[in-house]
Amino acid sequence: MKTFLFHSLLALALISTASAQEVRVIKNTGTKASLDVSTFGAAGANGYVFRQTLTSDLEHCGWFAMVRPASFNVTGSCHDNDGTLTVDCQVLNVLKNSVVLSKTYTDTSPNARRLAHKVADDIIMAIKGFHGICSGRIAMVGTATGNKELYICDADGGNLHQLTRDNSISMAPRWAPDGSKIVYTSFLKGFADIYMIEMPSGKRSVIARSPGINMAGAISPGGGEMLMVLSKDGNPEIYSRSFSNGQLIRLTRTPRAGEASPTWSPDGSQIAYVSDMAGAGSPQLYIMDRSGTSRRLTSRGKENVDPDWGANNLIAFSSRRSGLYSIYIINPATMEERQVSPSDANYEDPSWASDGRHLVCTKREGNGTRIYLLDTMGDAPVCLTPYGGSWSAPSWCAK
Amino acid sequence: MKTRLAVSVLLVGVMAVSMTGCKGLFGKKKAPDAGVTDVGMTGTGTGLDANTSGTRIGEGGTIVNAQLSAVQFAFDSALVDEAERAKAEAAANYLKGNAGTFVTLEGHCDEQGSAEYNMSLGERRAQAVRTYLMNLGIDTTRIQTKSFGKEKPKDPGHDEKAWSVNRRVEFVVMK
Repeated sequence: MKTFLFHSLLALALISTASAQEVRVIKNTGTKASLDVSTFGAAGANGYVFRQTLTSDLEHCGWFAMVRPASFNVTGSCHDNDGTLTVDCQVLNVLKNSVVLSKTYTDTSPNARRLAHKVADDIIMAIKGFHGICSGRIAMVGTATGNKELYICDADGGNLHQLTRDNSISMAPRWAPDGSKIVYTSFLKGFADIYMIEMPSGKRSVIARSPGINMAGAISPGGGEMLMVLSKDGNPEIYSRSFSNGQLIRLTRTPRAGEASPTWSPDGSQIAYVSDMAGAGSPQLYIMDRSGTSRRLTSRGKENVDPDWGANNLIAFSSRRSGLYSIYIINPATMEERQVSPSDANYEDPSWASDGRHLVCTKREGNGTRIYLLDTMGDAPVCLTPYGGSWSAPSWCAK
Repeated sequence: MKTRLAVSVLLVGVMAVSMTGCKGLFGKKKAPDAGVTDVGMTGTGTGLDANTSGTRIGEGGTIVNAQLSAVQFAFDSALVDEAERAKAEAAANYLKGNAGTFVTLEGHCDEQGSAEYNMSLGERRAQAVRTYLMNLGIDTTRIQTKSFGKEKPKDPGHDEKAWSVNRRVEFVVMK
């Protein structure tokens, strides 16, 4: 208790230091490179899908302005020949008159959208020198069937695929960091239990079904452990479980508070989570290290929930302030935080995209929610699920 | 079902150590010596009793219409208000008068905010009523808690009126 109090005071001290500075967490990397894709050729139905997807990816990735004349020209074509897609793609640096990418792709599956995402990421790598997010995938919950089922889609919302047919309530899907598994919570047997789905086989097994709730499984960066929220020993507490020896370690002990939503730091040395130990009705974010020492992370906002610790070491979360839920990001080392969603609606439940710039989250629209791609550098949010039903609980996977 | 029950009983016996039925994930057999290790203490005191008394009681039982009213809760609160206690007392009286019945306390929340935090909040609401029933002399083996978070609203509306209806613990009696 004493330790905890000390850390709370320390945290408060850090907050007041941070608020005095008003420093931006992510610096804008400057103007966008101008890009011209307009002469890219296409033939066949899949060819047109490819070109449209490629153009949309490059437009929404955040790094390019689609204008003519441009500094970079993307030329080539996509042909659909009896079920085989062939793509030729060249990227020319106009100012230097140098070819930065020249590559041929063939796809016999064929999945024109997936191939377009791959080519878009190759173009981003050739021009900007880092990995784009176009080939990413999103797991989420959707109600299109009338029940809450798990779905997977591409980073742009396309290739929507229903993963579960449980006719139950599915919640809180989270990818293993290597994309090999999805852990989620389901009422399949009447109670909230944790299940794991192996990808892409779809083979499912139950991970936790103790009395009370079994919730919010989160596989560690190394893949050897899983965090979860269980209430088998009293009120909801956070546990970690080793996959190798089955050892269950209780991480929190808050007899008068509930915990939720644990998330790993990228190096697996710390976790962030939600607890209302500071007062009923005011869930806040906390951080705990391997020694079990915890400190409070958030101070502003009546509710700070749904944390996701990104590979960029920033924690995204939703915060309720003045009656509105918004997405914030906080640097746990400096306690600097800033709002990254517009104030036009309720944005909640963020998940970092792999580029450390974008997030997926929910936006309330009417009586439901949809998944949006948010840009921490200021581009307008993009709706990824313009489908019927309500869409929630997005989880990003880079693979 | 039988296997699951047997495993559950074993679980209670060893203070609920291993998760059940995770074939092939953590090796062939659950480690019998896998103890619950506590690290990371935050807060003090022992607080609530372990929720291990009745593992998924009533599976295969039939629901009884006991005509019990749900206990309502204030926003973001897991405290049983004084005005709501009569409902818990009515439930306790019913259980006392009907041997062989047991109750699932279903905690629910309104639609506002985090689905995951609401799962925790719903569980704590159910546990608050559970504690109340225990104090009224109901054996814990006849009570289990369950949270639906904000997943099963009773009133489908999206205003404060609907929200206040939806913040509740329902008594589902079985025999």
